Amino acid sequence: MGTTILAVLAVVLFFTIIFLVAKAQELSSFSKDADEHLEKASDLQGKLLFAFLFIGFAAVAYAFYELGPRVLPQSNSLHGDEVDSMFNITNIVAMLVFVLTHIALLTFAYLYRYKRNRKAYFFPHNNKLEIIWTVVPAIVLTFLVFRGIKAWNDIFDFETLQDSEQVLVFEATAKQFGWTLRYPGMDGEFGERIIDREHISQINELGINWEDPNSLDDFMANELWLIKGVPTLARLGAQDVLHGFYLPHFRVKMDCVPGMPTQFMFTPKYTTEEYKEILSHKKYWQKINTETGNPKWQDFQFELACTELCGKSHFAMQRIVKVVTQEEFDAWAATQTPYYYQVINPEANPAKKVVVDEEVIIEELMDSVSVVTEMQTVVAELH
Amino acid sequence: MSEVTANQDSAHAAHEHDDHHEQSWLTTYIFSQDHKMIGKQFLMTGIFWAFIGGILSLFFRMQLAWPNETFPILEALLGSWAEGGKLSNEFYYALVTMHGTILVFFVLTTGLSGTFSNFLIPLQIGARDMASPFMNMLSYWFFFAASVVLLASFFIQTGPASGGWTAYPPLNGIRDIAINKGSGLGFDMWIVSMSLFIIGSTLGSLNYVTTVINMRTKGMSFTKMPLLIWALTFTAVLGILAFPALLAACGLLEFDRLLGTSFFLNNIVINGDLLAYKGGSPIIFQHLFWFLGHPEVYIIIFPTFGIVSEVLAVHSRKPVFGYRAMILSLGAILIIGYFVWAHHMFVTGMSPAIGKVFIIFTLLIAIPSAIKVFNWITTIWRGNLRFTPPMMFAMGFVSLFVSGGITGVHLGNSVIDIQLHDSYFVVGHFHIVMGVAAFFGMWAGVYQWFPKMFGRFMNETMGYIHFWGSIIGGYMVFFPMHFMAGVPRRYYAFDQFQSFNNFQDVNVFITLAAFLVFASQIVFLINFFYSIFRGREMTEDNLNPWGANTLEWTTPVHPGHGNWPGDLPTVYRWPYDYSVNGKDFIPQNVPLEEGEQEH
Repeated sequence: MGTTILAVLAVVLFFTIIFLVAKAQELSSFSKDADEHLEKASDLQGKLLFAFLFIGFAAVAYAFYELGPRVLPQSNSLHGDEVDSMFNITNIVAMLVFVLTHIALLTFAYLYRYKRNRKAYFFPHNNKLEIIWTVVPAIVLTFLVFRGIKAWNDIFDFETLQDSEQVLVFEATAKQFGWTLRYPGMDGEFGERIIDREHISQINELGINWEDPNSLDDFMANELWLIKGVPTLARLGAQDVLHGFYLPHFRVKMDCVPGMPTQFMFTPKYTTEEYKEILSHKKYWQKINTETGNPKWQDFQFELACTELCGKSHFAMQRIVKVVTQEEFDAWAATQTPYYYQVINPEANPAKKVVVDEEVIIEELMDSVSVVTEMQTVVAELH
Repeated sequence: MSEVTANQDSAHAAHEHDDHHEQSWLTTYIFSQDHKMIGKQFLMTGIFWAFIGGILSLFFRMQLAWPNETFPILEALLGSWAEGGKLSNEFYYALVTMHGTILVFFVLTTGLSGTFSNFLIPLQIGARDMASPFMNMLSYWFFFAASVVLLASFFIQTGPASGGWTAYPPLNGIRDIAINKGSGLGFDMWIVSMSLFIIGSTLGSLNYVTTVINMRTKGMSFTKMPLLIWALTFTAVLGILAFPALLAACGLLEFDRLLGTSFFLNNIVINGDLLAYKGGSPIIFQHLFWFLGHPEVYIIIFPTFGIVSEVLAVHSRKPVFGYRAMILSLGAILIIGYFVWAHHMFVTGMSPAIGKVFIIFTLLIAIPSAIKVFNWITTIWRGNLRFTPPMMFAMGFVSLFVSGGITGVHLGNSVIDIQLHDSYFVVGHFHIVMGVAAFFGMWAGVYQWFPKMFGRFMNETMGYIHFWGSIIGGYMVFFPMHFMAGVPRRYYAFDQFQSFNNFQDVNVFITLAAFLVFASQIVFLINFFYSIFRGREMTEDNLNPWGANTLEWTTPVHPGHGNWPGDLPTVYRWPYDYSVNGKDFIPQNVPLEEGEQEH
């Protein structure tokens, strides 16, 4: 309580002092020649603005130096490289405009600060200048538009990508507050979904039709596993409200809309291990993570995030993403139990039957072994 | 009440005018029909909301900077919204939602066009008042009513709207606090408030356009109007054509919420329960919202374009460079501005083919914007720059508009937007243009026309402190955000994601800078309110302290009803005869000399 009162008093004192100093200045400035005061004030502010140019550029340079390495590292998808390249080109244009206009604005502020004997130059218009600075931006922007549209066309040309020899498909359905990741299983086909009250329930929120044989090997994964170099189709949906499917390192982003399936296609470039190796050469990623004691690159994981406001835990919809080789993926997929057998109808799980049979066989074998041993003993005794 | 029509300028009419209404305190200050008082009402209410909206941002910036700390003062102020001294995630989302709503609509739209259109249009075109003073009064009171409803929504049990100022369904489309706490009564109040706001805004806009078209004084042709009037007229047109889309969207949204319709809803499953909604699309809401939403940002920035043009000209003692080009570029931005809205929707599931159209128009709109910037810089070139506080803010505006506008080129190119959509890069972009530049335009206007509004001057030293604190602080807050280009916005905390959790020190820096900006605004508020009552007085012999050419400076120190006690001024020349024909400035109502050509 005491500290609060002191703090409030300090703040009030601070602003009171500013106020009093300012009022004193005003009294002295406007008792003198108004023009002289104007010249002095303009001189000071003009110089401050000019100084701001240099301090500002220095601050910008420092920001790039300090924060540049922390920007998301290079893309891990083929189309992501195009996104990054457009971003870098646009950055160059932006920095050029930023630097040149500020040099002009703030240098003019200094050069033309008010002087009582200066005459301003009556320059109401000049068509040539206007044309120059209409045409030049138009040319630059046209270039950016054409390149951008071409990249956009390439990225959204899903038909061509889907004609590839091999395509990995997964389904990501968002809800408050998590992701249901469905893979089509060994048969490569998803079980169909029927959106009606007969099929949708608490244990079957996707409304999968279990009569469809394709649904019997579909499995739900805890992590999103992708295969290096294989074009991947993300089939996206949402159950309740808008969500956004975002793979930051892959430059993949597409909203998930309830009642309207969306999709995105991309091809991962590096496995997680390869990507980590690339990071291990960068100074920022060699820093030690204080929580684990490891260098940052070693703890690195790809992640899936939600990127469309969906309620109070919008910020907590995380899944790990792993990029692996085809062999690692197949091995992992083999260990995943299909959802039908895990949750819907565990009794019918053929894998379970095999285990039971194995047990029976072993039991019978053991019985046979003991029978044989007994017989051997009997035979030995007979001899 | 107002039988005074265009060009009626006899002293007799003015005298009649005074006789007609005896003003009580109530009709002078509260239910005023005088455009000058209404303009000040908008300004005062706008300042009130700016203070609230700013405080909200300090709360959520504290959460972002110090997510693991507790602050007893938060619990003291916010009660159950900040149990244990830490903002709840639900209230965090209410804060960012209300911050956006308040600042975009209740501060920037009304503080700019409400204040300056009302105060300056009749004065600068030489009219006694607006075309319909009564409708003008209504436009303020609808805004006031909207304010009361929105403020009240903070005090209901389930809290104010919390699904984003963009109000997307289904999060805001289903009236169920289990889905989102602020989507109950709080959001109904948001809709009511916004509907009242839109009606008020439309009433005002209709008035402004009608007044400018019909009530310009003798000699004030369209091409002799100050650029500010052009900007304010275009602003009103923008509003009339765009706001109805949001009103319609709000109506349909409430139908979905209250009547079980499915305009924006389809196949909603909540906890394994398939709801009855069928056939709607959330994307349609987004189209309707952004059909207003994009022109809205031009509604905000156009008045600042006009103000900055006027202030730069007056304080450089030079005409604005390229008067016609400035008007044409305003017109181009206005028209093109209706064709860019879906650049907010590139990755929302809209057909990618449609996206291409919006890239073209979005980057096209950069051209007239660039022309304006180059024209402003040429305006100050070889001028004689008087760095008064309004001039400082006008200069700051040009810097901020370049910095913020240029990142619009990144975002407008959809392929880049794949990565930047809904990230801190967007937050940095729109805050620099709207959260800082637009404010600088507003402050330039306040400092410039304060003597006309109140017959006194604001303190200069506090003005300079306000400027430097705001521009340095403003850049410190929003420039670093561009480096968080891949970090999603609207995150309560970043600790769940390794990918986003490496900017903690930056968040502290930004929050501290935000406190600096806020402190600078305190200086402004002290200056503003003190100077209304005790500022250095404007005297009869100094009616035109800035040496400006426009007509408002030909009125008395305290212009009464009808603005000019005698005849209305006659206009002979354009507003930008500065440093010409051997004179420092030649006001618009000074006749042409022997042999002098019209500009």
